[in-house]
Amino acid sequence: MSLVTGPGRASISASSLPTELQLSIAAHVKYIQTLDKRKDELEYHLTEHLRINGIYWGLCALHLLGHPEALDRDQVVDFVLSCQHENGGFGAAPGHDAHLLYTVSAVQVLALCDAMETLDERGKGDRSSLPGSTSSESGILGVGRYLAGLQNRRTGTFAGDEWGEEDTRFLYAGMLALSLLNKLHLVDVDLAVDHIISCANFDGGYGASPGAESHAMQVLVCLAALSVLGRLDAVSDKEKLGVWLSERQVDGGGLNGRPEKLEDVCYSWWVAASLSIIGKLHWIDEEKLTRYILECQDPEQGGIADRPGDMVDVFHTHFGIAGLSLLGYPDLVQVDAA
Amino acid sequence: MASHGIPRSSTTEPKTEQARLKEQEQIQEYTALVDLIDAKIAERQYTREVLDLTSKLLKKNPENYTIWNVRRRLLIHGLFSKQSDSSLPLTESQSFSPGATTTTSSANLSSSATTSWASKETLPNRASPIPGKNGTTHDLIKGDLDFIFPLMIEYPKCYWIWNYRLWLLDQAIDRLEVDVARELWSRELALVGKMLNRDSRNFHGWAYRRGVISQLESSKLHGRSMVESEFGYTTKMVKAHLSNFSAWHYRSKLIPRLLTERAASDLERYQFLNNEFELITNAIYADAYPYAQSVWFYYQFLMSTIVDEVGHAIITPNLTDEDRIEYATKQLVNLRDMLDGAEDCKWIYNALLEYTLALSRMQNRQPLEVDKEECRSWLAELRKLDPLRSGRWDDVEKSLKWLDVDSRFAPESGGPIEL
Ligand SMILES: [Zn+2]
Repeated sequence: MSLVTGPGRASISASSLPTELQLSIAAHVKYIQTLDKRKDELEYHLTEHLRINGIYWGLCALHLLGHPEALDRDQVVDFVLSCQHENGGFGAAPGHDAHLLYTVSAVQVLALCDAMETLDERGKGDRSSLPGSTSSESGILGVGRYLAGLQNRRTGTFAGDEWGEEDTRFLYAGMLALSLLNKLHLVDVDLAVDHIISCANFDGGYGASPGAESHAMQVLVCLAALSVLGRLDAVSDKEKLGVWLSERQVDGGGLNGRPEKLEDVCYSWWVAASLSIIGKLHWIDEEKLTRYILECQDPEQGGIADRPGDMVDVFHTHFGIAGLSLLGYPDLVQVDAA
Repeated sequence: MASHGIPRSSTTEPKTEQARLKEQEQIQEYTALVDLIDAKIAERQYTREVLDLTSKLLKKNPENYTIWNVRRRLLIHGLFSKQSDSSLPLTESQSFSPGATTTTSSANLSSSATTSWASKETLPNRASPIPGKNGTTHDLIKGDLDFIFPLMIEYPKCYWIWNYRLWLLDQAIDRLEVDVARELWSRELALVGKMLNRDSRNFHGWAYRRGVISQLESSKLHGRSMVESEFGYTTKMVKAHLSNFSAWHYRSKLIPRLLTERAASDLERYQFLNNEFELITNAIYADAYPYAQSVWFYYQFLMSTIVDEVGHAIITPNLTDEDRIEYATKQLVNLRDMLDGAEDCKWIYNALLEYTLALSRMQNRQPLEVDKEECRSWLAELRKLDPLRSGRWDDVEKSLKWLDVDSRFAPESGGPIEL
């Protein structure tokens, strides 16, 4: 989800939508800004395990909304660095254990803030330089080594942490962060590609591990990993996969994650980005999906929910806005599907 | 923070003073508990008391993954190695957590020592396991499994709980006698069965089931193949809910192994394929199921074993080309029959179109004029019935036009005519 120019814009003009269905940009910016000012709510404390992801989702959404300055950059960078452990990995917040998912969010936030060099200045981890590498990038190497240490060298997939849970989500997240750190040479790329191939199912989709049912989020992480690794040729049947993905759209315009499940805004991103990667975004009704996402926003207080009328949160706000950006909604910065 | 299905409160009335105070109290209580656990762990108090504190916290918030990790460390570095339930704090081996300082944060207990996925295989205290059914270790594991169960029922989508449970059961394999460990693992099959009865599509539940089965089949637990009973389980599940795609999916994954283990002959494989087609065709004819995509994806899976060129013939690998052509032809007749009374079912038109083109490909020829005529009429129905996916139908139409243009040339397999 790096912010580079993506595929061409779809033909949705804001003027074709009724005024109550315009994206409430100002409200969303305000909503994200106030997320960290809710310490008097129990929910704030119960969601500490998502703090660093929350910052990434919020910041990424702000970039797409064209307001990257709405969060204080130095404060964000300081917070991210305060989550790092001696082993180079990051926890969800200070006091939380290191885990791959939070480490990846940390790397993504630092990339968005254009602050990767702070790792070399203030980062932790195994910074001993390898022959041929420059000592000035040692902090980046420390994070790269932590991530690379989580690859299963027998199967190619990744664990989330030392306790060993494995999932194609971790494989993608690890590879994405390693590529942002420019440290892909620390892992076995071919083995990882083979592992993704072994997670493919008869319906063209991918699961979390070999044998697991296809799921839109797992499809996206597998496609995005292959895209990051430059190996989209490994997708065996793009037609079949495109059919399965396009059947995620339900009559109301929203997308679900598996056959005969409820639609949800977060799947707008996972399904639409997957279709975009295989060049078949036009296989769904993009205008109806745009309307569905907009129906899920809270136009006054800001934020986007999973379904119309539900409670908003920063996770769905991020995926909703990323989905709209992918669909070419006007005034948004273009997102890259991978 | 990632909330699903929670209604937005219709009004944004400010909270009453009473509600505000109550919330402050809850926050106080929660953060004080986190701090207390942190402090005790910093003092290396790997005791039953601290274990109970983590239970209390996890009941309030099972998403706090760090506390699950604290619990793991309490067990492996403390409680598992105790002979009796003494309340003395345990001293920790030097190899654990190098570089740990005396800070009061739990951060220094984190994964600095080992980040490799393989680290779980080098457990400390391996030298003095307490085997048998009455040992402390067994009681701890069993007690912990019982503690988690209500949490799993309440939070069936929380990844950390499922992972912790699997980790705990792996500890049983490493630390207990085989038959004792096997008994614990066997209970899980009944448990996950209950979970899937409550929600027959739960993603975590199905993944957990596959994990449990693979351990129960492994030599570590003196297991043997359970593919027959698992296949029977999918039959039961799809018969209960014909649109249970999770069960159809699992079935597709079991079939190759099932047939291999049965050492099925070509004839038996052919009959097996017939039975599967009969099952899915009956499902399609039942109630509203012609409109359920789950059954059609399974139908597609069965057809792919017949019409796909290479690598997919997992059920009947030795069918001749003529046999396969005959089979596909027969299915096209069945599909036409299905249209009777279900003229508004897009899935049937979609299948007719796809397999008519596949048949011509199998016969190494271009589609006949009459085929193309029919394909166009089916495509028109698809456009009418399924306007959401009109972009997909545009691409199908392009591939049909491409057929027209290219029909003078020698046929090719694959290429743009695939749907
Ligand atoms: Zn969602």
